[in-house]
Amino acid sequence: MKATHFTQLATTLALVGLSSVAMAQTLSPLNSDTEADRMDWSELDAKFGELPAVPEGTSVGGVSKTLTNEYWRSLGEGYVNMAKAHNVEVVYQAAANEGDQLGQLGIAENLITQGFDALLFSPQTDVNLQPALEQANEKGIPVLNVNDAVIPGVANYVGNVQKDNGVRAAGWFIENNPNGGKVAVIEGQPGVFAAGQRTAGFTETINAEGNSLEVVASVPANWSRELAFNAATTIIQQHPDLVGFYANNDGMALGVVEAVKAADLQDQIAVIGTDGISDAYASIKAGDLTGTIDSFPVLTGEVAMEVVLRLLAGQDLPRVVSTPQALVTADNIDLYSTSDMAALREVLLK
Amino acid sequence: MNNATNATQTAKAGFKLPFGMRDFGTFIGLVIIFAVFSWLSPVFFTGPNLINILQQSSINACIALGMTLVIVSGGIDLSVGPIAALSAVVAASLMVAGVPIPLAVMAALGAGALCGLFNGALIAYAGLQPFIVTLGGLSLYRALSLIYTGGNPVYGIPPEFRAFTNGDTLGLPTPVVIVAVIALICWTVLNKTPLGEYFMAVGGNQEAARIAGVPVARTKISAFVFSGVLAAVAALILVGRLGAADPTLGNLWELDAIAAAAIGGASLMGGKGSIVGTVMGAVILGSLRNGLTLMNVQAFYQLLATGIIIIAAMLIDSATRKSG
Repeated sequence: MKATHFTQLATTLALVGLSSVAMAQTLSPLNSDTEADRMDWSELDAKFGELPAVPEGTSVGGVSKTLTNEYWRSLGEGYVNMAKAHNVEVVYQAAANEGDQLGQLGIAENLITQGFDALLFSPQTDVNLQPALEQANEKGIPVLNVNDAVIPGVANYVGNVQKDNGVRAAGWFIENNPNGGKVAVIEGQPGVFAAGQRTAGFTETINAEGNSLEVVASVPANWSRELAFNAATTIIQQHPDLVGFYANNDGMALGVVEAVKAADLQDQIAVIGTDGISDAYASIKAGDLTGTIDSFPVLTGEVAMEVVLRLLAGQDLPRVVSTPQALVTADNIDLYSTSDMAALREVLLK
Repeated sequence: MNNATNATQTAKAGFKLPFGMRDFGTFIGLVIIFAVFSWLSPVFFTGPNLINILQQSSINACIALGMTLVIVSGGIDLSVGPIAALSAVVAASLMVAGVPIPLAVMAALGAGALCGLFNGALIAYAGLQPFIVTLGGLSLYRALSLIYTGGNPVYGIPPEFRAFTNGDTLGLPTPVVIVAVIALICWTVLNKTPLGEYFMAVGGNQEAARIAGVPVARTKISAFVFSGVLAAVAALILVGRLGAADPTLGNLWELDAIAAAAIGGASLMGGKGSIVGTVMGAVILGSLRNGLTLMNVQAFYQLLATGIIIIAAMLIDSATRKSG
């Protein structure tokens, strides 16, 4: 018995040693969409076995963008679900708003001071948590970047494939508009990785392989419902024959829906959003919003917590673990609108 | 009552002392906050965490010092965050292009000074309201840095520069030491030089100051140039810490800086303000954030606490003044 323990200890030590050597080397700047060293969340159990038993007293600290956005609240719910199931202590904090870069850095530094075993970062921008990442590396605390903005030097990342959001939305428009037509994009904050990738995925797919759809406008609305409403109103005036909008997030998509309603063009213009917030689900059920690319934040949170516990157990996971996403429309909404994560996992694994 | 009157008189007479009565009040506030958090969290009153607090407060303190000089001279500067972003982008782009670090630093400070000069000149010579001019500047300077970078952060800051801002000086993080030196300079300017008297005079009663022969226009411009340069210093510290210059950095810095100055006793009516008070105001805000995070209080309640502290400070301020 003792011998096994000793071997385990030795392996862990060796792994820790190895991983710190790996950390000491500079990692190539991460692009979470194109990184080759990756796997899908659904393969975790198959490739690495069930999650090993978690040592008692393990604690994980999470810091995300802001709790005024439902997406980040749901992500935290996922952390807590998985943590509770394995008796892990979890603290989940966020900055006051999405612009508060220094406030978020302060929170991350304080979590490091408090001595958590591992950290989950969802940074405001690609750079603002860099000093905290360096501090954590120095102390040998593993950091997992969860979704959205990507710290270029981070060793592990969990999140969805941003570009795929746009590709899926474009796929729907191509399928449902065999005779072509004009579509427009409402973009998120300029310069933000997720916004750029989602837009690029959509535009490239629409422009590819000689289908007859055309992107006639692509304007930023900075994740704001109000700005999206204004932008959509202008675009509809300019192109009254438009057949659809793709918005980089659901808040903006709901703003677009209002503009389409105001112009009384609901039968002609389809609107697809991104994220899968509960307002979007309600709007799809009410027949207003056409669809949303749901990235299942609660489930993403659970996967992120699982990944960080696997890292703590010394498993050598690929640098990127991608999380589930799916196009939700009136046709399949009943399948996805469940708060039972086990049932949702079953649906997604099919 | 008698005591209070004496106290106010002492405060008035001794305004040039390093530690006035109003500063003593701020100090008591700081001590109470420290005592409460030390009692609630075992981590709070430890060396590394205290250094954390100073480090986390240093950028706001730097901005707030410039803000204090502007407020004392009867103005307000809402454009500090975007000025910082512009200076950061200038410094980073030059460093990445291979310009020697000292030159890039000078250029960033120059950019800050230029923005301040532009604000100040419009206010002093065109007679525009500081609030409106710097509100315009807030959009203008932000637009310049976004247009220049296309919205993308500038990466590739030389490691030598990062080592400087992330290193220690005299056992404290270098940014803390830099801001302490700046505070000393600002204190000397405000309390020991004619320029400091001009700031107070112009902010207190502009017309009287003009009749007394104070160069009102140049005084106002100087205050805004100070503010612009200090925004650039804060930007340089942040660029070093983050290893990149983000054109969106500095969002809402003006509000934190005004809060620190106000907690420290600066009056938005002008003519009143304290450098020591502002520094303590910044540390109060920093330790509040730090302590509440250690206790795992969510961001919404942190905002609530910050709001209560600011209003309480103002109430105490007004009460002590009325009794005098």
